[in-house]
Order: sequence, then structure tokens, then C-alpha cells
Amino acid sequence: MTRNEAEIKLKRIFEFEKFYDEQWQTIDMLLRGERTLLIEKTGYGKSLCFQFPATQFDGITIIFSPLIALMRDQVNTLNKKGISAKYINSEQLPEENSQVMQDAINGKVKILYIAPERQENQEWVEATRNMNLSMIVIDEAHTISVWGHDFRPAFRRIINLVQLLPQKLPVLATTATATKRVQADIEQQISGNLTTIRGNLLRENFNLFVIETKSEDEKLLWLAENLKNFSGTGLLYTGTRVNTEIYARWFDFMGIKTTNYNAGLDGETRKEIEKGLMNNKWKCVVSTNALGMGIDKPDIRFIIHTQIPASPIHYYQEIGRAGRDGEKTFIILFYNSKQDENGIQEDYKLPKAFVDGGRPNINKYQKVINALKQEPLGERQLMKKTNLKQTQIRVIKADLIEQGIIREVKYDKSKKYEYRYDAPELNTVKFDELRNSKLKDLDSMVDYVFTKEPRMKFLCEYLGDNPPVKFENCDNSKYKKRTVQPDKSTVNKLIEFRETYFPILEVKSNNSNIANGVASSYYGVSNVGIALHRCKYENGGAFPDFLLKLTLKAFRKTFGNQHFDLIVYVPPTDSGDLVRNFAEKISSVLKIPISHKLVKQRETQQQKAFHNGYLKRDNVRGAFNYTEPNEITNKNILLIDDIFDSGATIIEIGKLMTNFGTKTIIPLVIARTVGGDI
Amino acid sequence: MKQEYAYWIALAHLPRMKNVRKNELIVRFFEEKLSIIDFFHCEKSKWERLFFLDENEIELLIGAKNELANHSFLVEDLLEQGYDFVPITSPDYSPIMKNNLKQSHSPPLIYTKGNKQIMKENSIAIVGSRDAKNVSLEFTDSVAKTASKDYKVVVSGFAKGVDKQALDSAIKYRGQSIIVLPQGITTFKSGFKKYYKQIVDGDVLVLSTFFPKATWNVQFAMARNPIIYGLAKEIYVAESSEKGGTWSGVIDGLRKGRSIFVRVPLSTEKNANNILIQKGAIPVDNQGQKIDNYSAKEITSSVVNELSLAFEDIDSKIIKLLSTGAFTSKEIIERLKIDWTTRKLTNYLKKNKNIEVLKKTSTMKFAIKRKQEIQQSLFQ
Repeated sequence: MTRNEAEIKLKRIFEFEKFYDEQWQTIDMLLRGERTLLIEKTGYGKSLCFQFPATQFDGITIIFSPLIALMRDQVNTLNKKGISAKYINSEQLPEENSQVMQDAINGKVKILYIAPERQENQEWVEATRNMNLSMIVIDEAHTISVWGHDFRPAFRRIINLVQLLPQKLPVLATTATATKRVQADIEQQISGNLTTIRGNLLRENFNLFVIETKSEDEKLLWLAENLKNFSGTGLLYTGTRVNTEIYARWFDFMGIKTTNYNAGLDGETRKEIEKGLMNNKWKCVVSTNALGMGIDKPDIRFIIHTQIPASPIHYYQEIGRAGRDGEKTFIILFYNSKQDENGIQEDYKLPKAFVDGGRPNINKYQKVINALKQEPLGERQLMKKTNLKQTQIRVIKADLIEQGIIREVKYDKSKKYEYRYDAPELNTVKFDELRNSKLKDLDSMVDYVFTKEPRMKFLCEYLGDNPPVKFENCDNSKYKKRTVQPDKSTVNKLIEFRETYFPILEVKSNNSNIANGVASSYYGVSNVGIALHRCKYENGGAFPDFLLKLTLKAFRKTFGNQHFDLIVYVPPTDSGDLVRNFAEKISSVLKIPISHKLVKQRETQQQKAFHNGYLKRDNVRGAFNYTEPNEITNKNILLIDDIFDSGATIIEIGKLMTNFGTKTIIPLVIARTVGGDI
Repeated sequence: MKQEYAYWIALAHLPRMKNVRKNELIVRFFEEKLSIIDFFHCEKSKWERLFFLDENEIELLIGAKNELANHSFLVEDLLEQGYDFVPITSPDYSPIMKNNLKQSHSPPLIYTKGNKQIMKENSIAIVGSRDAKNVSLEFTDSVAKTASKDYKVVVSGFAKGVDKQALDSAIKYRGQSIIVLPQGITTFKSGFKKYYKQIVDGDVLVLSTFFPKATWNVQFAMARNPIIYGLAKEIYVAESSEKGGTWSGVIDGLRKGRSIFVRVPLSTEKNANNILIQKGAIPVDNQGQKIDNYSAKEITSSVVNELSLAFEDIDSKIIKLLSTGAFTSKEIIERLKIDWTTRKLTNYLKKNKNIEVLKKTSTMKFAIKRKQEIQQSLFQ
């Protein structure tokens, strides 16, 4: 097919006049059965490069994409043009997915979008045996590279698949963000005579700013005063889940409409928030970087980061979600450059900790290997066997699979991990290499903060791109720097907020009468944690009075209007009567009677000895008893403890009391830990 | 190269083509220094010129070629689940099997899980009936014990009776074992669970020649027997009746001049062990040790011609007969004592790629097709 012939068809099917040169170059190669890697910026029109040839092939084109939201949008658009496109993903019912597979087998689907994880699904693998396959596409191909900023283990199987595909079957990989190194990695992995086409990555409509601060508070202050002045809707990325909550509640306190989003929310809520974002329901969504990939909203007007991402390429990818319509868009990065006693800048610490903590130590790898040498185990069994955190187990698993030491195998319906009889030794050199590479990336991100060069130039060069243009769109070129000079009244507001902000304990469930409780503070982010630690583990004596005051304040603010019949406290494991004494004080201040009838009926270990939720739950299961159940029947109970971590203890007691007919149980604790596992 | 695997599946499970023909093609491209990928992507004219493919075969191959991408998905999943592919051109392919089964019967592709190197070790098969008596099971146990002590691999078929005993004993004595499955390799889940430790330790190799998703059936169980015999250097027979897989396997093996050791039965036993010894098998005692000067007692039954021949047996017998001249179906049936109708055999022979029809007279005669001389260096 000549370009002319193709463009006649293009006009008829897609209603575009012409291909860009690089688009045609790509399409031409695919039509000839070749393998191609296409690197073009967001909004360039990469999708057309596979959608057009897909309409020209006899069979079906399969697109592996990690972005569910994007699948939805593209399928809708294609269907409107009369092209039969469908998708298979976890948002649809299994029956719907099965129907799509059947349609694909029957030749009723031209373009099929599918999440890479589906390659693990037997029904899918079975279905592919009977499809007329014409082309394979890997969208967001940077995710197949460990050197990329967003490596996804599920894509490992897609790479394997591509390596196994027959010759002459066209394969296209696309990405908007790849450094030269990631490019080389993709080329090597996809192999088989791959041709790379690379466009320029400059985003002209971005206005880039970096705002240096000397504290976390300054970020909150600047945002409180300036957020509402931005036009349109945007995204605010915080480094942690806890911060999404704190920032959103601060904006709420200041009367700015926002909501918070993170990967821990359930699917329904997430979809709801994504929809609200599309409809400009809030000024901005406060989120971890889980949000945004694949949200097809062309007019995201600003993106603000309160923490530096792990590298300039992460940053380019995350801000790439904004301003796809080409209109003026604000890109702002905060950086707290205050130095601690060791001369380390505050905002360097969190991302550095992620790099350092990215891998568990080698003993833990060995623990997993040893367990799997004996028998095949599922994730949960493995966690119980090794007493490792779920997050750690997942990192270890992914690494061991990657190194060919274990593999994931389906036993009937459950997934288990097997040790491979010919497994190589664990290669830790690789880990060091990766770690060093990540540290270098992080340092480059800090370079971005302090660079005197035009910021877009810095990013393009980092990505291996060197567009011959004059850069005039940042606070290093045309615009003046922004600084934090808050109004006194805003500062007072923040103090007020800090004093009345209490973390919620989410323990409510359908089969228990326990309700969500409150903590006076997070454990790690204030002097509360330090005080608790001293008393509990360093013989520091009774809990100091400020903890009592703060806890009472949290109680009054949250539950001040509710009636309680009785105070009950969690019996200790081995830190003596600290909690009992604390509960007695609360009882005497609030004038609610206290009971000592909640007891342990067997020994338990300290919960902190267990590193995952399964073992914590096992540790306390059936451990408690209430010696005079009549006392709590149909009563409202305030349940007191010092530290709330996984919540397993509180939930277990809630169950016990529910069984004894207690009306409500509301937990009140001094501190809640951050990032409790499961 | 793993990209080849989809192509190997396509060729190995190509319907309506015999292994002997597939191997012929493989030998051909192997000697032409072509990969299986090159072979599949040949121009049609090259297929005709270099491989002497006829229209039918070309049609078959084009059909198979269209399914390559589909096979790739299957290959990816199988590799991920820990299964290996061993094509006949692979250095991992069992040299013993190649030597025993030759070009005519070696499977072009085998699927394995576990330590493939076991296939290169010295090996014995212990075979016998599913409902073998205790004395046979004890024999099996001691032969497996000796084999394990001598670092010989025990090959068995995972059937009840002798097979199972052979495996259990090899494991008990910390020897190595090959389990030859009568089913596709992915359908052996419970076995993989059971022998997990042995597989991890490299002591057990599970092997199948059937389509990976195929479930057990009688034909597979029959077709699996020659593979067991093929993988073993020596064959020990614990107990055989006068028909069935064990019997026909041994008879076939004896004809091919293989050393087959048969347990000398007690006088009270009713089985066909003595008949096998009479036919040339080597008598051994309960420990598997050779007995010199043993003469099998008089044989009560000699109705050898009633045995139900395995499919592959018929094939090789016919070829052998036809190599001496041209025959009609009726003549073939009489000479080989095959329990088939003339019509069935005629149809069967017509489909056989190695046999041609000579229509000189009104009655059809069959003869071996003349073909190009092919060097068989792949099979030594």
C-alpha cells in the first residue's frame, strides 16, 4: 500500500487528511510485518499508528495496555468510527470478558485492548489459541524495562511472549517517555530486528516552576493562598498516602474543594473520583502517583508536586498527563531544602528512603528461597512461613522470578511459587547496580530543582532529546520565581488545623458492631511517637500528661456528643499497666466508669514481632475474653489502647464484644502508625 | 532458540503426517543448515524442490503456519509454568531414544519438567502389568535399588502396579527417575505437587510427547509404551501377560535386537514371562541378576499370532514386508496376521506417505515409495 492509497483510506475511516511522516513510517513497517518501537510525546497520535494498520489486517490486533481508563476511551472512540474494538479488563464482569473472548475468536473484533496481567489467565491463553492474530501492540512500553521509571512485573510475560512470536508478525511498542538507556533496554528485550522511531518530546504549552521552601508548612501555606487562583482543574501529587489525607483535609479546612485518592481505595471509589475529575467536580485531586496514568482528560490545567519524584523521567511522565489540549498549563514542584544536622535536605530524605528501602536484606531473600525449596507455597502461606511483610514478599518474589530462581505456577485455581531445580545463585550485584542507578536518577531530580537552565530543556536533554528551539516557559527563563510569603492569618489557620487534626481509625465492618475510632496523632510524624516509645520500651514511666490532653481533645472533637456507658482497655502483653493507668485517667476526666473485665485467656506475642497482617491476626485470634459479658450487653463502649498499627487487636476485641451483644465499640488510641501492613 | 518452539509445536502435532515423514523433513532442513523457522518461511517452490513436499503436505504446512502466533501464546504460558521443550534437534534430546527409535519412531518434540540432563544418563525401564503380583513388585524394587546404586535412571510410565513401584523405589533409594506420561504434560498437576521435592532436587524428570493440554486416553497409554522402551538402554520385565502393552513392547524390542531381561517366574505363576524368555529375552532372578543355563519350561500357550499389535508395530511390519516386494492388502493381512479387514488396510495404506499404489493389475498392489536418498546424520 502506498502512502497515497493509505491516506485515502485514512480520510474515509478516521477522517484525518494526512499522516505525519513518522506515523506513516511506522505504519509502513507494520504493514510489511516488521517490529517497531515508536517514542513520541503524549498527544502526538501514537494510537493511530496501530489503529490504522489494524483496520487493514484480516485478523485481530491485540493491544497490551496497563491503562484501563485509556482502554475505555479508545474503544469508545473507535466504536463511534464504526471500527469493532473491545477490551478485556478487571472492570468488566467475568462473563462480559468471556463474551469478548468469544467474539474475538469468531472474528467479530478488529482491535482488542487487554491488561498485561491477563496473560496469567488460563481462559485468555486458551482463547488465544483460536484467534486469527494479525498484530501485537505493547502500549507504555517503558514499563517493560527495569531501568524505566515504572517497571511492571506483569509485562515480563509480555516480553517473553513477544520473543516467542513468529517472524513476520508485526509488533509495535510505543511510549512517551524513554531515556536512551530505556530505549536500548526495550530494543534488546523485544529483539528480532526492531526499528526505533523517535520524535521530539518538547511540550511547548507547559509553564514550569520550582518553589523552594524551608518547611512542610510553607507548602501548605502557599497552596492555601494560591491554589484557588489557578484556572481549571488539576492534580496535586504528594509523596505518601498519609499526605494525601493531610493535604486534602487541610484544603477542606480552608474551604477549597478537593478530594484525596490513592491506590488503597476500593475500585468503586476510585472510579467515582476519576469520573468526578473528568467533570471538574473539585479544584484538584490530591493523590499519590497512582492517579493520572491513562486518565484521558485533555484539559488538566495544572500539576503540583509537594515531593520530588524519583527521577526526571518520573517527573516528565507525571506532568505529561497535563495539558494535552495544548493550552497553557502550570507545572509546579515544591522542594523543602532545609538541611538537617547532617547537611541532608529534608525533601531528599523520603525518596532516598524509598531507594534504600526498595529491597529487603539478603537474609529475607534466603528465607523465601529456603521455604520454597521444601514445598510450593502461595503468597499468603509464604508470608506465614517467613514472617515477612506483604510489600517485602512482593519485592522478593518479583526479583526471584526475574532472576530465574523461582517461578509462579498455577495449581488448580491458586497461584503458588516454585523453586526451580536449576536455579542460579541469587545475584545481589544486580541489586546494587539498580540501587546506584536509582540514586543517580534521584540526584538528577535534585539537579532539576537547582538548575539555572530552562527547565524544559533540562528534561528534554535528560530524555535524550535536543530540540532546536528557544525555551521561554519557566522560572529560569521568562517568568519570575515564586516564593512563600504567607499572610499572618493563614499561618494562624494552619496552627489551628494542626491542633485539631486527628487521624481516623478505619475498622468498621459489616459483621461487627465496632465503629471507626480516632487517634490523637500519627506515630511517626510528631513528638507523640517519641514519647510513647520512651514509656513503652525504655522504662520511661507513665504516659506524659500532654498525651492525655491530646487524646482527650481528639475524643471531644470526634465523639464529644456521643454517650458512652463504659470504658474498656486492651490488656497488656508485657508493657505493664501503662494502658490501664492511662484508661483510668481518661475515665476519671470523662466521668465514664471503667471496667477491668476484658482479659487475655492465652499468651500472645507483641504484635510488632509480626510483620504481616495474617500473622498479627493469628496472634490475637481467640486471645481475649470478657469475664462478665452481661456488663457490656447492649452498651456503648469506649475501647482504649496506646498504639494502633494493623488494627488486628482492636478488630478481634470488637468481634468478641459483638458476640456478647455490645451495641457499639469505638476505639480511642494515642497514636496510629503510618503504613501498617495489610 | 525459544522462538522456534511455536514452530516445533506446529510441526510435531501436524495432523495426517507420520513421525517418520516429519523426521525426514527435519533431517533434511538440519542437513541444509536451515532452522525450523527458515523451513516454515520457505517459498513454495523451495518446499517442492528441496523437500519434495506434495500439494497435500504444502496445504497442511500452510495451515500450520497460520497458527504459529497462537502457539506462541501457548509456549509463553508453558515456559512460565516451568515446562521445557526439547525438539529432536536439541542437544538435550535423549540420545538413547534416538538410537532406539530411530528416524521412523522418534517423537519430533518432547515436553518436560525437571532435570533434562537425566535423559543423558544410563537408564533402565522396568515394565510390567498394572495388577502385578507381589513377587513382581519385589523384583521391581530390587532392580530399582541396584539401578539407583549404579547411578542408572529408572524410566517408568506412571501406571499402577510395576510402573508405580519402579518410581517409588527409585525415589526411596535416592535414584533418578523419568516419568513418561500417557497424557499432555499440563494435566499432571497432582503429580507435580507430589514429586515437587524430587523435581526441585533434580531427581525426577516428567516427560510427555502429547499435546500439552491433552488428557489421558487409551491410545495415549498405548503410544506411550514405545517411548518408555525408547528412553531406556536396558529393559527389565517384571510380569507380562500374552497381550497388551508390555508384551507387544517386548516382542518389538526383541525383533530389534535389544537386550531385554525377564524375571523367571515361579512355577505357580500364570503369566507369559517364560514365553518371552523362549523368544530370546534374557532370564533374570528376583534380584535382576542374569541366570545362565536357564531353559524355559514347556510353553503351554503359543498363540502368539493373536496378539493385538500396537499401531506402530503394524506400520513397521508393513514397511518391512513391502521392502521385499509389492503385495495386495489381502496378502499383507495373511502374511502379517493382522486382524483387519482388507478394506480398512487398503484405506490405511493409501494414506501412508511412504507407500505407493501400483495399479498394474485390477487388484491394487502396494509398495514402498521410492524416495531421495537422505543422509541421516541427525540419527547417527
